[in-house]
Amino acid sequence: MPDSIDRSIEITRRRFLAGSAMAGFAAFLAACGTQGTGTAAPTGTSGTPATPPPSTAPVETKGVEATYSAELNWANWCCYLDVDPNDDTKWKTLEDFKAANGTTVNYQEVIDENEGFVASISNQITAGQDPGWDIIVVTDWMVARLVRLGWVEQFSLNNMPNYVANVRDVYKDQDWDPTMDHHAPWQTGMTGIGYDPTKTGELTSLKSLFEVNSKWKGKTEYLTEMRDSIGLTMLALGLDPRNPTRDGADQAVAAMLKARSDGIVRDVAGNYYTEDLVSGAAVLCMAWSGDVVGLASDAPNIKFLFPDEGVMFWTDNAVIPKGAVHKGTAELMIDWCYVPEHQAQIEAGISYVTPVKGVKELYEASTDQKALAEDPLRFPPAEIEPKLVQFGILSEEDEKYFNEQFAKVIGV
Amino acid sequence: MQRRRALIPYLLLAPGLLWLLFFFAWPLVQVFVASFWSGSVERGYSFSLSNWVNYPTAIEPVLPHVGRSLLYSATATVLTLLIAYPLAYTIAMRGGRAKNLLLFLIVAPFFTSFLLRTLSWKILLGDSGVIFGPLKDAGLLPPEFRVLATPMAVVAGITYNFLPFMTLPIYVALEKVDFRLVEAARDLYAGPWRRQGTVVGAIVGGGLVAGLALAFGWSPAIPTILAALVGAIIGRFLISEAFVRVTFPLSLPGVFAGSLLTFIPAMGDYVNAEFLGNPDSRMLGNVIQNRFLTQNDFPEASALSFILMGGILVIVMIYTRVLGTDQLTQSRV
Repeated sequence: MPDSIDRSIEITRRRFLAGSAMAGFAAFLAACGTQGTGTAAPTGTSGTPATPPPSTAPVETKGVEATYSAELNWANWCCYLDVDPNDDTKWKTLEDFKAANGTTVNYQEVIDENEGFVASISNQITAGQDPGWDIIVVTDWMVARLVRLGWVEQFSLNNMPNYVANVRDVYKDQDWDPTMDHHAPWQTGMTGIGYDPTKTGELTSLKSLFEVNSKWKGKTEYLTEMRDSIGLTMLALGLDPRNPTRDGADQAVAAMLKARSDGIVRDVAGNYYTEDLVSGAAVLCMAWSGDVVGLASDAPNIKFLFPDEGVMFWTDNAVIPKGAVHKGTAELMIDWCYVPEHQAQIEAGISYVTPVKGVKELYEASTDQKALAEDPLRFPPAEIEPKLVQFGILSEEDEKYFNEQFAKVIGV
Repeated sequence: MQRRRALIPYLLLAPGLLWLLFFFAWPLVQVFVASFWSGSVERGYSFSLSNWVNYPTAIEPVLPHVGRSLLYSATATVLTLLIAYPLAYTIAMRGGRAKNLLLFLIVAPFFTSFLLRTLSWKILLGDSGVIFGPLKDAGLLPPEFRVLATPMAVVAGITYNFLPFMTLPIYVALEKVDFRLVEAARDLYAGPWRRQGTVVGAIVGGGLVAGLALAFGWSPAIPTILAALVGAIIGRFLISEAFVRVTFPLSLPGVFAGSLLTFIPAMGDYVNAEFLGNPDSRMLGNVIQNRFLTQNDFPEASALSFILMGGILVIVMIYTRVLGTDQLTQSRV
């Protein structure tokens, strides 16, 4: 891992979930000190007149006919945008956007789970009213549901030349949005194995998670996220989580229950598995990539493994909810983030896999950000890319079935 | 003037009643209605009385969790009582000038969040933490020994978190005991100790631990013998006849209130089982949380909530009948 990347203050999205749920909001604020908070409108409300874009602004959005609205409402997850290095109450990208286009973005980190957030705007959407947000960011399976329900606006791709040109190919060909005009990938993370090779020896396979071995018996943990645990187990069993079937879920659940009764599994705790890894109570866990890298300072022995069978990857996506009043400006905002220079600035402030082409090249060409291009968390090595597996989309009935079966694994 | 006077009680009641109406009664009605729904988030819900089947459908697969909730909260209630009573007794009878400080110390943990307190137990009980680390290093415990992620940790967490709820009511009851009654009892030949104290103490201590061992599947022999020994010593040297005849009966209202304040919230608790337990020790509260927030199965979650409430109500009614405050104050003293 490059030394120049300081992860001591990084809080990944899922770590935030754990933190806010368990330690309370106050503790989170303390931990997030340098990241600013979502409650203070980061873009400021001074209403200063638009100034010309900085001369370094790299790409002009050509052929755009839409006019910019004075305001834009954007709901996102924690820690998903770059903080202004000079003022940690502001977001640099949004400051730049305002300077260029005069739009004040009301950016709020109000999303901490997909279901709950969508439930909070579903009444307005079904009643044909303004949902209050122009951009929301939700995980791919939720986008599939929203598209199915007709709850999101279709993009005018004319407004979004950078998005069309720069979205990476791996994100295309989604069954639920083959024309790529209902969602724009925002960031991606990975789920694999976090383990302590000094205790377990070097591992390569997901099968270790289900193997009775005195080195990790009673010191293995699975995740409470259904798609992560079932997905990794299906991979271990040689099944394909891209096409999740009820039979596959049954087999995966049976394998996990057997591991539990064999005494392999200490807990299916999810969020706080990192603490058990650090304390040594667990030596082998299903783990989120960002978390494990974040542990480097506390527990240098813990490694993130891209297992032979593959890793699960999930993507959060920007969508425009049905009835949004600033649809045109929302498209321009999303497009703005797809300009490689702008994305490079965002990506330097967070640590996820970017969906935008050309960012890595920008880092490689720069003098002070070369290390970022080497970061496997932001740019998984080429040999890893074929191993990235996205959990297939479930129908509502199947999702209920999967959740019910998985509840047995969690013990509820 | 008269009429205005008549209105005063209602005016005084109004804020409380309105509060209860909006924030207790109305949500309760909503949850009750939801328990007769069928449907889903996407398709919408419809109400029908024929959906009473939600109740048996919801409860049938989670009967083990109901059993665990009962076992853990009952155990924790007994443990809090055993810890809280001597604590409250010492503060009330021997606190002297330090009384207020000691009471403050009991309430002090409440100045931090419930979640933080529970999480700090993860550190205390850690497999190689401050308690078990040194013991393991000294070879007194096997290296694979752990308390976290077992029922023991869940019960310990509940016991700790609810200790003040047991201590304070008992303290208040003991504080009110007129010590002249104890002196009078002594004058009437209530001895400083009881001959049968040794036997009763041994039976109570040993029985309690044997029961726990049976319920949690430990090997019972050694802990039971140890507990019987401790019980015998306490019964022989610490429990006086005056205490059994006067002080304890007078403090029973505090015990009664404390047990309810501990047992009822403990039954619905899910935080301790979530953070300190593992899949084998989840309680009914965890199931309800999962049905509401993960599965979005509002009808089943609502049905389970009502079953839990009903169950607690029945238990409390039986308890009140057996150990009601009225009987305590009227007949036994």
